[in-house]
Amino acid sequence: MSYKTKEVLRKLVVHGLLCIIVAFCLFPVLWMSIISFKEVGESITGFNALRIQSPTLANYKRLFELIPIWTNLLNSAFTSIVGTVTTLFFCSLAGYAFAKFDFPGRNALFYFVIATMMISPEVGAVPMFVIMRRVGLVNSLWSLIIPRMATAIGIFYLRQYMLDIPDAIIDSARIDGCSEFGIYRRIVVPIAKPALASWASITVIARWNDYFWPLLYLRDSSKYTLMVSVSMLPVSDGLSTPWQVVLAGTTLVIVPSIILYLVMQTYQKSGQVAGAVKG
Amino acid sequence: MWETLRKHRHPYLFIAPYLILFLVFQLVPTIATVYYSFTEWNGLRPPRWIGWRNYQLMMNDYMFSNAIQNTFRYWIVGAIGIMGLSLLIAVLLNSKVLRSKQFFKTSTFLPYVCASVAMGLIFRMLFEEHAGLVNEVIVSLGGSRIPWLTTSAYAWIPVVILFIWRLTPWFTMIILSGLLNISDEYYEAATVDGASGWQQFLRITLPLLNNILFFCFITITVDAWRLFNESHILSGPGTSNTSLFELMYTSAFTNFKLGYGSALGVVLIVILLGISLIQFMVRRRTGEI
Repeated sequence: MSYKTKEVLRKLVVHGLLCIIVAFCLFPVLWMSIISFKEVGESITGFNALRIQSPTLANYKRLFELIPIWTNLLNSAFTSIVGTVTTLFFCSLAGYAFAKFDFPGRNALFYFVIATMMISPEVGAVPMFVIMRRVGLVNSLWSLIIPRMATAIGIFYLRQYMLDIPDAIIDSARIDGCSEFGIYRRIVVPIAKPALASWASITVIARWNDYFWPLLYLRDSSKYTLMVSVSMLPVSDGLSTPWQVVLAGTTLVIVPSIILYLVMQTYQKSGQVAGAVKG
Repeated sequence: MWETLRKHRHPYLFIAPYLILFLVFQLVPTIATVYYSFTEWNGLRPPRWIGWRNYQLMMNDYMFSNAIQNTFRYWIVGAIGIMGLSLLIAVLLNSKVLRSKQFFKTSTFLPYVCASVAMGLIFRMLFEEHAGLVNEVIVSLGGSRIPWLTTSAYAWIPVVILFIWRLTPWFTMIILSGLLNISDEYYEAATVDGASGWQQFLRITLPLLNNILFFCFITITVDAWRLFNESHILSGPGTSNTSLFELMYTSAFTNFKLGYGSALGVVLIVILLGISLIQFMVRRRTGEI
């Protein structure tokens, strides 16, 4: 085989394989959104699912009758956005302290942060529920925000990025009489913007997709996040909600996160998040 | 003492929120879980101390052994599937001959963005015995219908497929960033020496990705042991595909056996602590922290 045919063959294999992989990635999502526009009477068996005879919005209308979509949507948006903003603030503050200050016990505390990174708080769900009931946060959206306002993994990630901020800038600001919080706000935050942006996008999507904690803490449908309401869809309509309606619900959950992801993609290079992991 | 605290008050102040939240919402619950695991408690009356009884019950509980077995399966099959696929996809994405790289990067990352709960509902339909697409494909290829989610033997398969489908993109991205850090010079030198593509992958790429692959393995391990959404939404008959974590949730919050649920929580804590310890030691040895 000549060098040229080998090159062409390699190109073919790479693109072919990737196209198959992309098909597997996109197919379930496309399939779901197609079915959500099918009439309830139409066949959704196997490949018939992909043939729409008369596209309809009836499934979405039914969905709005079954669950309080707008309220749930608002709850999801509120917890995702407020949760992300607070966690960014407190994680970057702590990350900055670990990256740029020298203080007694720093290394011990940082080891401690890393050691706790892997223990997920979910294992303490029983006492967590007791604590939340004690402080009156059961059935409150704040129960989803407050415990995760500062997370070990967030601190670790932002600290790795902030290590590269030159000390000279910080020191000269200090000499100019800038307050410590002022240095954080005016110098550290602007420099760390790319890291903050990628961490924000990961967090906001993770919070939107969160299921365990809302399921545990939220007790009535007006407090549910969208994820909880949608998970209960199969049994909301007299135990057998038509699949078309269930898939209309899942479409409503997934489409916003995809849009958000695509928008963020245009602002930042992918792969940046992985920068936290040194090779 | 006060003098040092005052002198370094800023960094301490910046870290304080984390420490307080950790204390209240992680350390206290973890210790309390250990305490509750030695009690019998239904949430209404005060917990009653019963010593090791919950742990003895656990040893004879077929649901516990089922859950351990299932989670073990999710871990091993998941780790092999995710690492294999993400390595493959990352290498393909890193290929010099690839055109429209950004399109492929973006679309292969999409599964990670999709909520596992919503995907679970979709998978439930895809794996439906009589109408699902998966069986339809199997039948058209000449096979017979498989009762995926209605028999104990198969119920774990859709769960692990969803687990792999959703998490592969994340690890692809991490591995890809590792590949980008490998200098081209290595490959150029190897090509001059006549090494084939496969040899280059085995002798250059894999060894240089060592740390990253280890990190991925640890993260997948933790994700597998705390798997909940996938098996909760794609539940099979009985505890046929229940994960350990899901068993903890149902014991405590559906059956109100809070003591027993806590004992299951302790098992999870011990497992996660072990993993955390291993990764901590390795990171330290490689000089990462």
